[in-house]
Amino acid sequence: MILSLSILIGLSVVVFLTTFSDAQSESKTFVTHSGAIVTTTGEILDPLYAVSTVDFDPMGYLRDFNYGQVSQLSDGTTLREFTIIAEDDKIMEVSPGIFYNVWTFNGTVPGPTIRATEGDLLRISFINNGSKEHTIHFHGIHPAEMDGVFEPVGGNGGRFVYEFEAGPVGVHPYHCHVMPLEEHIVHGLYGVFIVDPKEERPIADEMVMVLNGLDTDFDTENNFYAANTIPFYYQHHPIQIKTNELIRIYVVNMVEFDPINNFHLHGNLYKYYPTGTDLVPSFYTDMITLSQTERGIMEFQYEYPGKYLFHAHKVEFSEKGWVGIFLVNDNDEKNTELDYGN
Amino acid sequence: MEISNKSSKIKLITSGIIPFLFLIILMAYIFGPGSDLLDLGIPLPEITIEKVDFMNSEIQVTVRNTGPISVEVAMADINDRIQPAAVEPDKYLNRYETALVRIPFEWNEAEPYRIGITIEDGTRFEKEIEAAAPAIKPSLELAWFFAIIGTYVGIIPVMIGLLWLPFIKRISKQKYHFFLALTVGLLLFLGIDAVEEALEVSKENLADVFNGGLLVATVTILSFLGLYYAGEKLLKTTQSSRLTKPVAIALMISVGIGLHNFGEGLAIGAAVGMGSIAFSTFLIIGFALHNTTEGIAIAAPMSRERKVIGKLALMGLIAGSPAIFGAWIGGFAYSPFSSVIFLSIGAGAIFQVIIIILNMIRVECNNNLSNASVVSGISVGLVVMYLTGILI
Repeated sequence: MILSLSILIGLSVVVFLTTFSDAQSESKTFVTHSGAIVTTTGEILDPLYAVSTVDFDPMGYLRDFNYGQVSQLSDGTTLREFTIIAEDDKIMEVSPGIFYNVWTFNGTVPGPTIRATEGDLLRISFINNGSKEHTIHFHGIHPAEMDGVFEPVGGNGGRFVYEFEAGPVGVHPYHCHVMPLEEHIVHGLYGVFIVDPKEERPIADEMVMVLNGLDTDFDTENNFYAANTIPFYYQHHPIQIKTNELIRIYVVNMVEFDPINNFHLHGNLYKYYPTGTDLVPSFYTDMITLSQTERGIMEFQYEYPGKYLFHAHKVEFSEKGWVGIFLVNDNDEKNTELDYGN
Repeated sequence: MEISNKSSKIKLITSGIIPFLFLIILMAYIFGPGSDLLDLGIPLPEITIEKVDFMNSEIQVTVRNTGPISVEVAMADINDRIQPAAVEPDKYLNRYETALVRIPFEWNEAEPYRIGITIEDGTRFEKEIEAAAPAIKPSLELAWFFAIIGTYVGIIPVMIGLLWLPFIKRISKQKYHFFLALTVGLLLFLGIDAVEEALEVSKENLADVFNGGLLVATVTILSFLGLYYAGEKLLKTTQSSRLTKPVAIALMISVGIGLHNFGEGLAIGAAVGMGSIAFSTFLIIGFALHNTTEGIAIAAPMSRERKVIGKLALMGLIAGSPAIFGAWIGGFAYSPFSSVIFLSIGAGAIFQVIIIILNMIRVECNNNLSNASVVSGISVGLVVMYLTGILI
């Protein structure tokens, strides 16, 4: 009796624990790498190809340049004033269904792209609304007390004004420089600072790409890589450009943990200006290697319309999100009238 | 008289219930709404990848929520490279709930794979597969194959072992005690082996939340107690039925060994199921040699009986055939949880049989368990099992 009872209890536990699920009938399909179509009655987990949007809009960020509030000083110098607010309590959906505590400048990762012309005076009012100390450390040339290292700004409303002359010409990162530094950077406290030469570069379709990674499980290895934070975003939302139009990308590598990153362009080569400090390109290539905070400017134009990939040729990074597509549209046929109509 | 009896009964029941009421009040106070007493620390979500099946152009992963809070499955990867996938029935997993994650993937046979599942807070859980092998599909052919293997491993060796019966019959009383003690040694080894195996399976494949070690202990002891009780009843009925005491003991030994062989069948089925064919060949040879000794264990207590051939054959079947059922379950419906349960039941059964035989020897030897034949019997039993066990 007792034997059979105990066996019954044991078996029912086994059965109970293995069939603890309920059925669903509606079926959906999705496409794999190799083009196979898979049907499922459940839900699809596809950050790669399924069009999805999350809190942050990488397409908006791509071409968003902030020139600040502009005024002239008495000596004719242009003054550009910015306000940057740091926060460290935001939970953001970084990939469909995955939520991560981002630390932000003005609410996004990366922070706003700050843009000025060489010689302008920059006045950046920094407000720290986070719970920890934060600063802004700009790469570039400025006085020691404007370096954002030895002047930690306390949380819950601490303030500091960074004031310096924009320079040198090029593309630079800015980031928080409070210890532990790695933690403050990988949570997202960084952005791009562009200094234009006084004589402007040729007109182009300009964009900013911050190559970054996300360590969502805090094991000092990145779970995701991306251009502009959201993995695979430009793969399911291709960047639309036109044939025979100059494209200029300001690229900044902010990946931590992994010593290098790189940028490979399909069906084309680009002129590369390391750090953007020189007006003459150093390379004509389809592959450059970038170390931490290494950056530069790429210029290219496409002759043939169609879809072209761009991605890290460290394939691990591209298969974890750092991959995108340029959708090159024919310039002459569709857009000529629009462009010259007004 | 009636009334006072009734009221004392009510008093009895009430006094039994009152502590429970206080316990409920305590629980309500600690966990109830508005209580923030235990609002400390952050519960960490956890999932366990219980099973990975390599299908045609697809890898199927069974995940179970083994943490204290519900989770959402968000992403799948293979070798740390993100893959599109589907999750059935849905991505929301309550505590202990399972889901099937289907990852379309052109995998290569015999290559190692690391399967990763990431949940909504970005935590990634990984399971490493040493060598990919196609998942076996239940078919009559395969069921027949397992039945044959189960016969080779379970029934035939036990039957061969039983052939020692005429030999044991002819030997002196002391030597007979030696063989009974040998049986104790053999069983002791099997019991320890089953516990070890159960602990190993629970450590490797069961989530911490199941508390593997204590699960094994609890099931083993329950099985022991249940069978001990049933065994005593069986022995008592021998006085009034045709069943003699030695036959009853042999029957119990066969049941215990049967449960043990069921575990062996599970191991073989699971090894074939996971595609480690070479490993399962060793398992089959090893178990076959090993199980011959189990025949002696059944034969020894019956050797002083008459007309036992039919009974012996039946007991050989009881002891041996569970290997077939084990292979079916291990091969077609493997689950680490049920394996641990079955192994532990087997261990409890074997320890119970050991007690019964020791009792039998004690009666036969006039309360003297420390004589040479008993001590050497147990020792030889252990050593023989160890040596044949190395072959696995």
